Amino acid sequence: MPLPYPPFERLTPGLGTSAHVEWLSNPASTHGVLMRTDWYVFIGAGIFVGLYVYACIVWCLFRYRRRTNRDAEQFEGNTPLELIYVAIPLLLVFGLFGVTYALEVPVDRVARPVPNRIGVTAFRWSWEFQYPGRAETFGTPNAPPTLYLPEGETTEIDLRSADVTHSFWVPAFLFKRDAIPGMTNVFDVTPTRTGNFTGRCAQFCGLDHALMSFTVHVVPRSAYDRFVASNGASVP
Amino acid sequence: MIEWLTTTNHKKIGIMYLVATMAFFVAGGLLSLLIRAQLAVPNNTVLSAQAYNQVFTLHGTAMIFLVIAPFGIGLANFLVPLQCGAPDMAFPRLNATGLWLFVLGGLTVFAGLAAYGGGAASGWTAYAPLSVIYEGSGAGQDLWFIGLLMASVSTIITAINFVVTIFLFRAPGMTMWRLPIFTWEMVATSLLILMAFPSLAAVLAMSLIERHMGGHFFDPLYGGNPILYQHLFWFFGHPEVYVMILPYFGIVTEIVATFSHKPVFGYVGMVISAFAIAGLSLGVWAHHMFTTGAVSNEFFSAVSFLIAVPTGVKFVNWIGTMWKGSIEFSVAMLFAVGFLLNFLIGGITGVMIASPPLDYQAHDSYFIVQHFHYTIGGGSMFALFGALYFYFPKIFGIKLGEKMGRWVFALMFVGFNVTFIPMGFMGMEGMARRVFTYPATGHLPLLNAISSFGALLIAAGAALFFVDVVVSLRKRIPVPDNPWGGYSLEWLTSSPPPEWNFESLPPITNRRPALAE
Repeated sequence: MPLPYPPFERLTPGLGTSAHVEWLSNPASTHGVLMRTDWYVFIGAGIFVGLYVYACIVWCLFRYRRRTNRDAEQFEGNTPLELIYVAIPLLLVFGLFGVTYALEVPVDRVARPVPNRIGVTAFRWSWEFQYPGRAETFGTPNAPPTLYLPEGETTEIDLRSADVTHSFWVPAFLFKRDAIPGMTNVFDVTPTRTGNFTGRCAQFCGLDHALMSFTVHVVPRSAYDRFVASNGASVP
Repeated sequence: MIEWLTTTNHKKIGIMYLVATMAFFVAGGLLSLLIRAQLAVPNNTVLSAQAYNQVFTLHGTAMIFLVIAPFGIGLANFLVPLQCGAPDMAFPRLNATGLWLFVLGGLTVFAGLAAYGGGAASGWTAYAPLSVIYEGSGAGQDLWFIGLLMASVSTIITAINFVVTIFLFRAPGMTMWRLPIFTWEMVATSLLILMAFPSLAAVLAMSLIERHMGGHFFDPLYGGNPILYQHLFWFFGHPEVYVMILPYFGIVTEIVATFSHKPVFGYVGMVISAFAIAGLSLGVWAHHMFTTGAVSNEFFSAVSFLIAVPTGVKFVNWIGTMWKGSIEFSVAMLFAVGFLLNFLIGGITGVMIASPPLDYQAHDSYFIVQHFHYTIGGGSMFALFGALYFYFPKIFGIKLGEKMGRWVFALMFVGFNVTFIPMGFMGMEGMARRVFTYPATGHLPLLNAISSFGALLIAAGAALFFVDVVVSLRKRIPVPDNPWGGYSLEWLTSSPPPEWNFESLPPITNRRPALAE
């Protein structure tokens, strides 16, 4: 159930034309689709609670504004009411935690056996990608590299850092994971459709952090296999 | 002049805290305008990458360590002895030490700008190994660590002073359960500081040792661990956000009750929720580390969600205080309402990012920038201005302009929301925080332009506030002791209060001694 694109898209035809815009409605990975549910639940609950509390505040401000013919009632509380308003948020956050837990477990689980494994090394200020075999690519801040992923296949990413803490973020996958010196972070991703998606470093890493981007190019399995088999010579 | 430099009087120290924090507020605010100028259009060149990184580092550092937290402490310095019915703080000289350590610490951080190689440029979080090995190899980063070490020691000794003053220096009849909520919030804040700030002092000292004496605490090549820095920092850092909000919860409670002309609704609930928030906040630090893959996301997520419950209690009690009241819309009350409306958005987005699957997208993006500005800016900063309008008559014996104040509020409230609402959408579109530039893709140019325009409105509001102060100081319209119908002890004494606070105190038999007939 994709949400409609935000309406200002139509108000700003000149500004909203790029293919790089990603929005909640259309995540490009299986985990992204799972986590989109979490977003919808929280956005819905947030709007409901927010509007309810706003209504209470605005109603009080209007109804009990100072008027000459009425004095403030002097009372110090209402214990049943206060207890109800402890119980309701408590139930609400239990429910939200349940949704969170149910979605987080599959997202954090790493599939075994791994069909495809790519080593990603973050460095100041670009990325190196090591594919099975000897294929290897890296970029610079001014020439960001491309990460090729096979469509519909689970790829394990072994994430490392060569210097400081970085973060591997692909907004279209609704996902990021930190690259921390001294440890390898392992997660997997299963892209659901081909195309180009923007990726970037999310954790501030110094001077050219803003330029530390990359492109995720999701290609059909056959093109990916040719790319790997040719040691990166046959670019999809 | 010498009198002010050497004073140990809590009211003079409090005033100097307020003046110093407002000066740092102007500096931090100007830095934020530089940030919005650079980001107004994509691929902008107002600032170089190097300059931008220093600017956002100093903006965050100033607003967090030198404005929002110490303003609450400074105001408490003025108010807590008055609300307790005490002649001064328990340790006046320690109090003066705290003030001057804070001022010198703040100036030390800013002095980094003049250092060879520029000021600190690794963000207010200064993660290792970025801050200790790579970024700012010059003296700027050192001055940042040293300045904040001074400020953290200042905060710790002042917290001890508050606890002792409130526990032992109350007037006869002023039992703990008759204390105003603001003073109660300062008890919770001070205890939280005593738990959390030693961790900050430790991590700052360790960073200096690592930089200059081969500490290798955070360097994996020598068996250290960058994650250790994050644990130590956030063990301080998350309680710190409550150090930046609990005093302002207290201020809003006092303002709402005073201008609703009612007792605080659910007084006991207000006190318990303050301690519940403080206690829980010690167990949530690693929700800043959900994306590290190195912590128990489930545990820290669950505890983070729980904080919504006592915070909800506070909202219920604020609304309950207005309920069936007779609400007077003074400027202070407008800012308190602004606080309620803005902070609610900060709270709701806070619950969202307490869910790790959401945080995987939101973390380190502009979604987070929006979230924490709604809590610290839309929340604490609005309460800060409410406090200025509310307590200015008591502190200086002069009222601020209620008419001009309405414009200050309107500009700030509209400006704040215009600035920060777009940031949530920027984050969802993939704009990371702490970037000096962004590509001209999607809605990013439009959203950033709107945001920068909003920043101008906030700046106009802040500028108008200072005009209001200058005009009011010129006019010098005197005010009575209790201009608002306040109920706590400080409204019983003269405005401004005499050196020893009270000529005499009536018998204190309830929670509203200033209203007792």
